[in-house]
Amino acid sequence: MNINMEAFDQFREGVSRLPEMIPPAPEMADDERVRRFKKTIIESVAPHQAMDLETCVHCGACAEACHYYVATQDAKYTPIRKLDMLRRVYRRELGPNRWLHKLLTRDITAEELEEWQELVYDSCTECGRCSLICPMGIHIQDMIIMSREALASAGLAVAEQRALAQEQGEKDTMFGMGKDMFMQGVERLRQSGLEVPVDQPDSEILVVSTVMDAALFNDAMEGTVKIMNSLGRPWTMSTCGFEGANFGYMAGYYEYRKDATMRVISAAIDLGVKTVIAPECGHAYPALRWDGAAVYGKPFPFEVLAISEFIGREMKAGNLKVKPAFSGQKVTYHDPCKLGRMGGVFDEPREALKALGVDLVEMDVNRQQSYCCGGGAGNFIINRAAPLRAKVWELKRGQFDQTGADTVVTSCDSCRINFMVGAQDTHWEKPIESLAALVGANLAE
Amino acid sequence: MSLLDFARGPALQWSLIIFVFGVVWRIVGAALLMRTRDFSKARVSSGDRVKGGVRTILTRSVPPETFEKRIRFQFITGSLWHIGYFAVVLLFVPHILFFESFLGFGWPGLPNPVILVIGAITLATLVALLVRRMIHPVLKIISTADDYISWVVATLPLITGFLAMAHLGLRYETMLAIHILSFELLLIWFPFGKLMHLFFVFPSRYNVGAIFARRGVRV
Repeated sequence: MNINMEAFDQFREGVSRLPEMIPPAPEMADDERVRRFKKTIIESVAPHQAMDLETCVHCGACAEACHYYVATQDAKYTPIRKLDMLRRVYRRELGPNRWLHKLLTRDITAEELEEWQELVYDSCTECGRCSLICPMGIHIQDMIIMSREALASAGLAVAEQRALAQEQGEKDTMFGMGKDMFMQGVERLRQSGLEVPVDQPDSEILVVSTVMDAALFNDAMEGTVKIMNSLGRPWTMSTCGFEGANFGYMAGYYEYRKDATMRVISAAIDLGVKTVIAPECGHAYPALRWDGAAVYGKPFPFEVLAISEFIGREMKAGNLKVKPAFSGQKVTYHDPCKLGRMGGVFDEPREALKALGVDLVEMDVNRQQSYCCGGGAGNFIINRAAPLRAKVWELKRGQFDQTGADTVVTSCDSCRINFMVGAQDTHWEKPIESLAALVGANLAE
Repeated sequence: MSLLDFARGPALQWSLIIFVFGVVWRIVGAALLMRTRDFSKARVSSGDRVKGGVRTILTRSVPPETFEKRIRFQFITGSLWHIGYFAVVLLFVPHILFFESFLGFGWPGLPNPVILVIGAITLATLVALLVRRMIHPVLKIISTADDYISWVVATLPLITGFLAMAHLGLRYETMLAIHILSFELLLIWFPFGKLMHLFFVFPSRYNVGAIFARRGVRV
């Protein structure tokens, strides 16, 4: 792993000290919290979600798909239960039998909303695995996103995510890092002799990055730049649209989410690019690829690809060639939920690994059924959820060990952070690599 | 009017009216909520999204192998009692005669002893599932009154049917009337509780299949 472990330790330290720096939660009367939560749900439920909410038979199968339940065997993590607040509002205020439910069931309370914060933020990573098991076909993942929006509107977003969303929305920085840190990352690469186009007009491709890569995962940023330069096509990064991470999206603040998404969209439109590439930042991809156009209000005039998807596509087209530098090495690939199950990117990263000559050993559960890293959807910055993540790390470590692989490769910063934290805390020594870094470092001459 | 006449006459009419009106009301009510358009570029054509949705309607009846190991008991018992229940409702000769009396046509049924065995297995499975619901930590925490009401309402026709068929308990005509009334109770409760999944399961499965297919993922 070609990253600065000192920076990694600093990052961990920074996350652990986040609570000290977070401004207090917005004060609100209890009935106002309940009112706002309900309003958001009532305005958001779509018909396909109504069908889902009507059809649950309380069979509990979804628990068996959830990494938090599987790792802890604690029934409170049953996925459908995480939607209880949303479901009760739906039944009492929105569903066709609301008149009956109003008569027979209790209304939600602010105390219950506070209790559900842990279930909606700490113990759901919006990984979508429960959608694969439900015999009724209920898609829980997008209703968790809605529940987060409703909780955020009620002033009950989890503290760390609220702070980060607010910081990104208002200052365009994360952990105090913004454009300056991005440019420092760019300068460092330029000093090492690489050409890094920034705000280059007449570019075909816009590469979005994240300050996480500039500050911590330099290897992924460097790999991406090398890959782009090797293609010989006009590409650029942008000082306006450099940040792919979107804490407003994860925390449930629509306005902040919109600001962050629009910064990238505006940069892409101003530069007139045909393609936008999302960095190795799991949720940056769905925030732009699948949910970005809803924010924009119409179809994008450009295509959006994840970097791993782009790499695989260019390799397949014969435009990108690598040395078989890892010939015979046993490697396993972890599918990040937001790219794989929720994104459809499975084959491209595997193509790239095979081109690098690796002996790819799949985990017992992989591709669309892959277990989440345990820290997606912004969970990795929630301090009180650390013990829960540690349990999921045990699950993932067991899977990694079972493959007998020497190296774990993934294509998502969040997954990588979670695995590195788990590995560091349990003295697990195997490297956890970035796909873009490996490809970039082993390009054929 | 005897209890049996009441059960076969006005009670049947009214329960059917409530059933049909309630089911339509609930489906239309859920379907008419506002919808937002998805402007993101799909990986596949709209035809393939439809295929993905239809595929999930069919495939979701059997869980993928990875999950099958974890939910084997639920899957087997769940399938067993649904199949058994429909077999008893639709293939018991007196039921067919009952349907024929207002549909105008019938179909071949199963011999009574076979129905008896199927009914017994179905009832035993329902009891096992009820016990499981009461003791399994996950089911305990997510169960509501609807789960228990729906269980009672679905199981009563089975029990009263057994009693009527075996000429046990009350006088046969009274038992038969109670059996028919218990079925009518099922019809009346149907639009209000989770039994509605009989209809909602199709759009729900279709949607999850189509949503994932849109992203190029087969679920």
